[in-house]
Amino acid sequence: MLLASLLDSRLMYYEPQIKTREEIYRDMVSRICRNYPLPICGSELVKLVLERDEETSTAYPTGLAIPHIRMEGFNDTLISVCVPAHHVDYEGTHVSVIVLIITNKSATKLYLNIVAALLKLSKDREAMRTLGKVKDGHYILTTIKQMGITIKEKLTVSDIMISAPVTITPEAKLSELGDLMNKHDIAVLPVVDENKKFLGEVNVLNLLKVGVPDYLMMMTNLNFLESFEPLEKLFESEDIVTVGEIMNKECEVLSPDASIIEAVFLMIKHEKRFYSVVDHGTLVGILTSMDVFGKVFKV
Amino acid sequence: MTLMLLALVIFGVTYVMIITEWINKMLAAMIGGFLIVLTGILKQGNAFAAIDWNVIFFLIGMMMVISVMRETGLFLYLAIKTAKLAKGKPLRVTMYLFLATAVISAFLGSVTTIMILVPIAMLIAAELKITPVPFIVTMIIASNFGGAATMIGDPPNIMIGSATDYTFLDFIFNLTPPVLIITLSSLLLIRIIYRKSMEVSNQARARLMEYNEKNLIQKPKMMVISLIVVALMLTALSLQGVFKFETATVAMSAGLFLLLMNSRKKIEQVLVKDMDWVTIFFFIGLFMIVESLVETGFIDALANRVLKVTHNEPRSTAMAILWISGVFSSIVDNVPFVASMIPLLEKISSVFQAEHIPQAMMHPMWWSLSLGTCLGGNGTLIGASANIVAVGIAGRSGYHISFKEYTKIGVIFTLNAMLISTVYIWFRYF
Repeated sequence: MLLASLLDSRLMYYEPQIKTREEIYRDMVSRICRNYPLPICGSELVKLVLERDEETSTAYPTGLAIPHIRMEGFNDTLISVCVPAHHVDYEGTHVSVIVLIITNKSATKLYLNIVAALLKLSKDREAMRTLGKVKDGHYILTTIKQMGITIKEKLTVSDIMISAPVTITPEAKLSELGDLMNKHDIAVLPVVDENKKFLGEVNVLNLLKVGVPDYLMMMTNLNFLESFEPLEKLFESEDIVTVGEIMNKECEVLSPDASIIEAVFLMIKHEKRFYSVVDHGTLVGILTSMDVFGKVFKV
Repeated sequence: MTLMLLALVIFGVTYVMIITEWINKMLAAMIGGFLIVLTGILKQGNAFAAIDWNVIFFLIGMMMVISVMRETGLFLYLAIKTAKLAKGKPLRVTMYLFLATAVISAFLGSVTTIMILVPIAMLIAAELKITPVPFIVTMIIASNFGGAATMIGDPPNIMIGSATDYTFLDFIFNLTPPVLIITLSSLLLIRIIYRKSMEVSNQARARLMEYNEKNLIQKPKMMVISLIVVALMLTALSLQGVFKFETATVAMSAGLFLLLMNSRKKIEQVLVKDMDWVTIFFFIGLFMIVESLVETGFIDALANRVLKVTHNEPRSTAMAILWISGVFSSIVDNVPFVASMIPLLEKISSVFQAEHIPQAMMHPMWWSLSLGTCLGGNGTLIGASANIVAVGIAGRSGYHISFKEYTKIGVIFTLNAMLISTVYIWFRYF
């Protein structure tokens, strides 16, 4: 299915003025309500869209925002596209294309595939630049038509992964690892060499384990010990031990072409919430269970 | 003759695999066991009939008992209590831990005892800020001594007990006295060897005394129940002469009862985590392989050769068994060794019968085999499973104990033990 076939040029427009997110939503909603009879409309609908934005961000780092409403008693999929002349701020993300989607409650799969197609489009910098230059609704539609974007059947890991994750090299010292975890507030990092070749993963438990000798791990419990200071040893070895010595080398990884259900399946099965996405030995991104939850299920 | 050679080759290759650990020892034993059948040396039925199920189920039963007892925290409690009784003075801690390890090993088996006690010994050493190596080395030695004292302490004894008519009490009467003497004299050796080497600050000792070992008793009720069950189990084993219970039946009854009381909701977890299936299948494979040596007549030939050398004379035969077992067990895993020695001794027994030598003369043979294999295990780092396990635990925590470092100490204790055993066998049975 072509993405263009789902679009209606009356719902697509160029916004030359500086407007807030709410003002843009208001314009989009009024265009929709002018052309389609909806059970909920006007300010009430704008409020719903804003509320949805509050829950989890609908903006992607590529400069695309996809606000979305599922409406009961409505049996179609409406897509409104706004290309603002000036970036709109979404909690720090600069958004240059806003796509508002209204679907019925049962069209989840179609919706996810539209999102996937849009995300793919947004990753194509050339295409985004072309779209940014279009100054008219009809042109937006023609441009998208020309791009020949299809809605595929499958949403894959590469569509929702984080593509430029924080990484670390095996030569890095533990102090550096600790700093990175602290700075970015993350508990797991993929370990790569200078060519982005994936070597393993290192997590905060690997780090803490340095301070706990192996023999303690063999005991059934430690509730008789009050004074033992495991972190003493961690501090001592912070600048001596390298990431390579403590990382997990045998990690399950995801392929960028893997389906979302496969990713979810593996996450549940291995009780692993963080996956490195590896393409032919090279790290291309990471995917956490919260990414899946936030971007796919909580839509 | 061809079959015998083939059987010998399979046995030899398997043995090399087990010693060198080029492949997992269970895998080696099982592959060997079924190759014996596949090559037609043994019929499957005969190979299966050779498996000593009394040994297998005894091991399984004991693993069940230990799985429950471990959870109660009793053993950790005992270890900490021991160290506190020694007031944290390192030489005393070493000696007390030596005794505790020997006593616990006599009932739990050496490997289990090492797995439970070595980590705690390392913690105590870390707290005292001294190297744990003397603790570990002496505990390995104690575990092998303790295991030698009873029928259920060490796999060789379990196998000998199962293959012969000796009861639990026979083992106590014949083996515990020499092991007691060996253990006490070893304490003296520890004193001589380590007297000067360990200094500890009062501060470190005070910290050790702060351990709140009472917290370790996790399930007081279950602990009492399991102690009663173990007491009953030992009583039943002691009354083997009266009731004719087989060892496996007693151990399985105790194990199943404790699982029923404590773990019925997590049986699968117990089966996966606490049962050492590698050991179980290792034994099964070994029994099958050794049977091929028996059926093809190799063991008969070997027994005749041994008796020819010793001129059918019981005392020199016993001495030969003791020392050959001791030397052999100090360099190779003693389980496959005993598995092959048992049919050899059975053959010697029938030769004695034919030569009208009194059957009482067989006693020193069996006890020599037991003492030789169990005590010889201390000779080198790779002589017994307990040694390998302990060194593994130490190594993973950053304390590398080298073959040389261990053997230097191990040889002294082993020689002492072997000499005492020699005197004991010599004077008690002849």
